[in-house]
Amino acid sequence: MLRLIGRRLLLMVPTLILASILIFLLAEVLPGNVGRSILGQYATPEDVAALNRELGADRPLVVRYVAWAGNFVTGDWGESPVQKVPVRPYVMAALWNSLILAGFALILIVPTSIVLGVFSGLRRDSALDRVITVSTLSMTVIPEFVSGVVLLYVFAVWLKWLPVTALAPEGAPFYERLYYLILPAIPLMFLELGYIARMARVGTVQVLSMPYIRTAVLKGVPRSRVVFGHVLRNAMVPTVTVIGSQVGWLIGGLVVVETLFSYPGIGKVMVESALNHDVPVLEASVLMVAVVYMFANLVADIVVALLNPRIRKGG
Amino acid sequence: MASAKYEREYGQHLVEQVLKGKMTRRQMLVRASVFGFSMTAAGSLLAACGGDSTDSSSSPSAAGMPAPVMGGILKLIGPAPITDPDPVTIYDQGGIVLVSQFLEYLINLNDDNSLRPVLAESWTPNDTLDVWTFKLRTGVTFNDGTPFEAEDVVATMERLLDPEGGSGGAKSQWGGVLSPKGTKAVDATTVEFTLDKPYADFPYTVSNGNYNSAILSRSYKGDILKNAVGTGAYILDQYTPKQKATFKKNPTYWGKDDAGKQLPYLDGLEYIMVEDNSAQNLQLQSGAVDCQPQTVFQGAQALFQDPNLRVDIYPGTGIREIAFNQTKEPWKSGGANLCQAVAYCLDRPAINKALYDDRSNLGYDTFWQETVFPSSPPAPERAQDYDKAKQLLADAGHAGGLEIELTVAKYLENPQLAQLIQDQCKPAGITVKINQMSYTEFYAGSDADYYGTTPWIVAPMTIVEWGSRPAPGIYAAAMLLPDAVWSSSHWDNKDFVSTFDEYESTGDEAMRAELATKLSTLQQTDTPIMLPFFISQARAQKKNVYNIKGPGSIYCDCSAAYMTTA
Repeated sequence: MLRLIGRRLLLMVPTLILASILIFLLAEVLPGNVGRSILGQYATPEDVAALNRELGADRPLVVRYVAWAGNFVTGDWGESPVQKVPVRPYVMAALWNSLILAGFALILIVPTSIVLGVFSGLRRDSALDRVITVSTLSMTVIPEFVSGVVLLYVFAVWLKWLPVTALAPEGAPFYERLYYLILPAIPLMFLELGYIARMARVGTVQVLSMPYIRTAVLKGVPRSRVVFGHVLRNAMVPTVTVIGSQVGWLIGGLVVVETLFSYPGIGKVMVESALNHDVPVLEASVLMVAVVYMFANLVADIVVALLNPRIRKGG
Repeated sequence: MASAKYEREYGQHLVEQVLKGKMTRRQMLVRASVFGFSMTAAGSLLAACGGDSTDSSSSPSAAGMPAPVMGGILKLIGPAPITDPDPVTIYDQGGIVLVSQFLEYLINLNDDNSLRPVLAESWTPNDTLDVWTFKLRTGVTFNDGTPFEAEDVVATMERLLDPEGGSGGAKSQWGGVLSPKGTKAVDATTVEFTLDKPYADFPYTVSNGNYNSAILSRSYKGDILKNAVGTGAYILDQYTPKQKATFKKNPTYWGKDDAGKQLPYLDGLEYIMVEDNSAQNLQLQSGAVDCQPQTVFQGAQALFQDPNLRVDIYPGTGIREIAFNQTKEPWKSGGANLCQAVAYCLDRPAINKALYDDRSNLGYDTFWQETVFPSSPPAPERAQDYDKAKQLLADAGHAGGLEIELTVAKYLENPQLAQLIQDQCKPAGITVKINQMSYTEFYAGSDADYYGTTPWIVAPMTIVEWGSRPAPGIYAAAMLLPDAVWSSSHWDNKDFVSTFDEYESTGDEAMRAELATKLSTLQQTDTPIMLPFFISQARAQKKNVYNIKGPGSIYCDCSAAYMTTA
């Protein structure tokens, strides 16, 4: 197990280096440049060139990359040329906000979808199974923009039960921050519920058809012990892998929800920095999301290994 | 006020124009304000014409306002500034609204494009309109305690005109008019602008209509977030990029209301930054914020019907320029006939209905449009006429039909406008292929030759969005003259150029009207660009919010705003 963790941690280093190079190259392909983003379309080419020179954006790509990477690894993330604020607090604040939203959403999504999926698998082909499958899949196909607007209108504008934004006032206690996150978490729950519940259902159905389950039932083991002791443990392996892969999206891919609920998360920061050629912010934010994504997958692999001794022992 | 002699002579001239029926009273007030007439002097002119001296600057919300109430924090909502809100380089709504709270201009525009003095108390031109002298308001201090003086105005202008940087937006209004070293401090309270050529509309270019021309302290070093030093009614207190800006009242603000009460009435402001219009609308409807300075018509129907909100509509001057690039086929060989053929396909009322809920002013392919710029002559209307369009197509050698490409950015309502043009051109045999691209792509170009490569300037036919401009001449100078760098049409009409020069160098209103008619005719005849509408602006606010001043909704002067408890 320790070797597995060590190997995965070591693999993160070349992955992050490769990602940082790719981001630099991709930012180069985007039309426009940082000077044009700052001065706008009506600035003269001379003014834009002068600003690019001042910012060092006219230097060769390799020179810029080496300078940025050298500073980054020593903890100097620089200043955003577009927003004129230090990059590290700007990006870390957005990442922290996204982690809170994603964490809260996962707390709602994971138990609900697993319960629904397992229940559906245990009652395979029953009316209840069909209701759960169809309803969760229907929720998945509703774009978060649509569900978000409807939820906002009903619960924030009409009934006034919940706040219209996701960001609690400055200095609000933690529980109040969670209260502000209820509405934005629901569209995410809609999107993820069907997917994870389906994985849990498939896992349950597969495990139920295994000979060792049949043997346990024929031996007269109580149903609750069969379900909790044998079915759940084995049915969770594919589900945990899927949850691990969804964490990256929940951290960095929530642009629509962040926009709709005016939430300053890392997804919006990444999109805006890409559009404005704000390379220091883009690099830092993408790398932070990559780190979170890799850690989430590592945790998922550890959980899977704990659930399945064959993986743990390299079988 | 202008000098006594000038005021007397020019005032007499304006009154004569009104009495001869060549100018309306409203037009006269606008022109008087451009030439620096005080409200009292303008009122005397009205009286001489046989009218009253009603304030022409009243906004839609001015009628029946309750007495001002002191205190409270007004919460505004709008998009975040794209970059840090450096007044020298800002170009977007978020940036403009933010800096307008703690900085001020020499002059502010009213909703009818007349001018009201702010940091300048008066201004007057010489006889040839190429030297303008501004007297500055006395007793004004920046919020760091330093006095506001003529040197600050000079430093502001030089910073904006700096050839090694400066402000693209400001320079666009001063190109060929005001050069570096053209601004001089005569004494602490007098500034003299020596222009490169006579320019009757110059005061507009040092108003908030030229939003980069906000007056900064001479010590400003480009660090607005660290040193937000201004003379405005509020002081920038906190700024969190892409989230929120807070302002507290400036206790040493110079402004007072008509009753002599100290402004501002409010304790402060909050500007909540939200990009998405739907999200902005929902926040306003939920009561979380008090005012949306600029309301986008599309998707805002619920705001108009909300009993808790008031939506003020202002006649705006913003446009969507539909340009025919005269250096590219088919316009190069097809000439005016072909451009006019497309123009006669447009059902302008239908476009206005579809895009702006019938609330904008129709345009007829000329800037000199009386309904939008009151001192302009009436422009002949252009109704949809497919027979005429087909005849013009045939005359241009395209009797069998025509295929054209329209390049447009996925931005604002531009894609919908392109779609409408495509649909409306079809019955005349004109097939419009829409080339849609991202906003960034549309305005991108190579570093070496930006204006020779960027799609908005080089594509054969484009839709380009323009914010408000206070006078038709300012639009024309920016896009219709052959040396205009933002000319998407690349129109080169020598008659237009010489007439335009004459128009901008005379203060004789009768001659200006005559020249404007000629300019308008030339523009309509060649139709290098189509202007199907001038976009009205809307500002939605709670019903207890009063006295936010414009012009229109793009500027948001909250210095005299207040909220009642009702």
